[in-house]
Amino acid sequence: MTTAAQAAPAAADFQGLTRVAVRRVTAPAVLGNLILAGIAVLFALPLLWLVLASVDKHASGAIAIPHFTLSNFSSSLSAGRGTSLLISLELALIATTVATVTGTLAAYAFSRRHIPWKGGLLLFVLFLSGVPISVIIIPMYQIFSQAGWLSVVPTAIFIGITGLPFEIWMIKNFIDAVPTELEEAARVENVSTMTILRRVVVPLAAPGIGAAAIYGFVNAWGAFLIPLVLISNSAQQPGAVTVYSFISSTGVNYGEIAAFSILYSLPVVALYLAMGRWFRGGFVLGGALK
Amino acid sequence: MSSDTLTAGHPEGQRLDKRRFEWGSSVFLLPAGILIAGVFVYAVIYSFYIGLTNLSLLGPTAVAYNFTGTANLKRLVNDPFFLHSLWITFIFVFGSGVVGATVIGLALAVLMQKALAPIRLITGAVAMIAFMLPPVTIAIVWYAASVPGGTFARIFGNPHSDPLFSAPLFFVSAANTWSLAGLAMLMFVAALRNIPRDITEAATIERAGAVRRFFTITLPLLKPTIVTSALLMTLLSLGNFTIVWLMTGGGPGTATTILPVYSYQQGFQFNHLGYGALLGNVMLIITAIFGVAYVIMARGPRRQKGKPA
Repeated sequence: MTTAAQAAPAAADFQGLTRVAVRRVTAPAVLGNLILAGIAVLFALPLLWLVLASVDKHASGAIAIPHFTLSNFSSSLSAGRGTSLLISLELALIATTVATVTGTLAAYAFSRRHIPWKGGLLLFVLFLSGVPISVIIIPMYQIFSQAGWLSVVPTAIFIGITGLPFEIWMIKNFIDAVPTELEEAARVENVSTMTILRRVVVPLAAPGIGAAAIYGFVNAWGAFLIPLVLISNSAQQPGAVTVYSFISSTGVNYGEIAAFSILYSLPVVALYLAMGRWFRGGFVLGGALK
Repeated sequence: MSSDTLTAGHPEGQRLDKRRFEWGSSVFLLPAGILIAGVFVYAVIYSFYIGLTNLSLLGPTAVAYNFTGTANLKRLVNDPFFLHSLWITFIFVFGSGVVGATVIGLALAVLMQKALAPIRLITGAVAMIAFMLPPVTIAIVWYAASVPGGTFARIFGNPHSDPLFSAPLFFVSAANTWSLAGLAMLMFVAALRNIPRDITEAATIERAGAVRRFFTITLPLLKPTIVTSALLMTLLSLGNFTIVWLMTGGGPGTATTILPVYSYQQGFQFNHLGYGALLGNVMLIITAIFGVAYVIMARGPRRQKGKPA
C-alpha cells in the first residue's frame, strides 16, 4: 500500500513526460491486449466453474454464484473415494521410484561412458517418450493377464516404465551439465563408481533428478487408461478412474465431482509450481522438450 | 603415427586413442534397458503378432487363439468404421493439436510480449494451469461446461440445448486445445526470447509496422519452433484417449471415435483383442512417422556441430 501511495505523486510529477517516456497507447497495443484478455477469459471459464461448483450446494454444469458449502469436499471422499486417492499415491510413488532410480543409472552411463551407437540409442529413447500408451495397452493386458499381474504393484511398475524414457532424457541433460573434475578427483582417490554416483553426481544433479521425479509422479498420478485396463479389482482403482465413476453414474452431482477433481488435481499443480520455483519459470519443460 | 607408439607402449596392444565400451557400464544400463525392452520392444512385437490372431477377451478364443494370417488385415481394409475413425482422428489431431494448440500458443506468446503486466501474468497462469491439470480433470471441466444447462449452453442462449451432443468433435477438440496451448506457449515464449532484438529494432527504424515485422521477421525465425510444436502436439493428441473417452465415450454414435477409442472399444467392449491390437499397430505406424520427424527436428540445431556423440 505504501509503495502505491508514494508512487502516485511521483507519477504526477512526470505527467508532462509520460507521453514520450512511457509506452504510447496505440491502436495495435490496445487491440493486442484486448485479444489476449479475451483468450484469457475463455481459458479461465472452465477453471472458474471448477472452483465455484466445488463450493456450491446446488452446483450445475454452468458457472453460477455458489450457495456456499464445504460439504462437497467431505462427501466427495465418501464411499471409498478417499481410499482411491491413497491408491493413486501408492501407484505414483512406486512408479516414480522405479523410473527415477533406473533412469538415473542409465542417464549416468549415457552421459559419462562410451557406449556404442549412443546417439542412435538416445534418439530412440526420445522417440519412445512420444509413443502413446493406447498403442500398447492391448498386448500389455494380454501379458499381464497371462502372468496374473492384474493388480496395483505390477501396474505401478508399468506406469513407471512409461515415464522412464523421458526421465532418462531429462536426467542425462542435467548430468551433462555437472563438471567432471570432481568425479576425476574422486577417482584418483580410488573411490568406486557407485560411490561417486551416490556422493558426487546425484547431489550435484539433484534439481534435475528431482524435476524428472516430479514428471514421473505427475505422469503416474494422471494415468487413466492403464489402471482402468490393468487393475482388475474395481475397489483398488486410483483416483483418476474414480472420477470416471462420477460421470457414468446416473444423476451427476456436479458439486461433488468438482470438489473431488480439485482434491485430485491439487498435488499435481502444487508439484509443478514447486518445480517452477525451483527453476524460476518453465525452463525445465521448455529446455527438455526443445 | 601417434597411435602406433601408443599401441606399442601397451602390453596388450589395445588402442588407447579410442574409448572402448567398459563392461561396467552395463550395470548402469541394464535395469532401464530391461524395463524398456520388456515393455516397449517386447510389447510392440507381441502386438504385431496378436494383431494377426483371433484372440478375444472372453470365450474359447481367449485361451485357444489361432494365427489367422491376413484375416484381420482384410477386415481392416473393408471396415467402414476404421476409415471413418481414421478421418475423425485426422480432424481431431490436425484441428486441435496442429492448428489449434500451435496457433493459440503462438498468439499467446506473441501478444504477451507487449501486453500490460497484469494481463500477461494472468493469461500465462491460466494457460499453464490448464496444461498442468491431469487429463481426467480436463475432461470433467469440459464435460460439465458442454452438457445441457452447462456454461456453453447458457452462453449460446438456450440452456436446454446440448452442445456436446450437437458438436461433439468440436468440444473434445476444444478441450484438447485448451490443455495443450500452454505447452505450445512455453515453447514459443522461449523461442521469441532467442530472436535478436537488433533485427526487430532495425526494422522498426525502417518504419516497418508491428504486423509487417511479425510476418517478415518473427514468423520466419520461428519456423523451426512452429514445426517442432506442431509435431509434438500431433504426438500428444494422437494418443489422447482419456479426454475423448471421458467426455463422449466415442459417441454420440461414432462421432468422436478416434483411433485410440476405436481400438479400446474393439478390444475391451466388443472382445476382439486381436483386431484391437491391429488398430493399435496402425496407430503405432502413424505415430512412428511423426515421431521420427519430431526427433529429427528436435536435434536439428545440434547437428551443425557434427554428429551427436
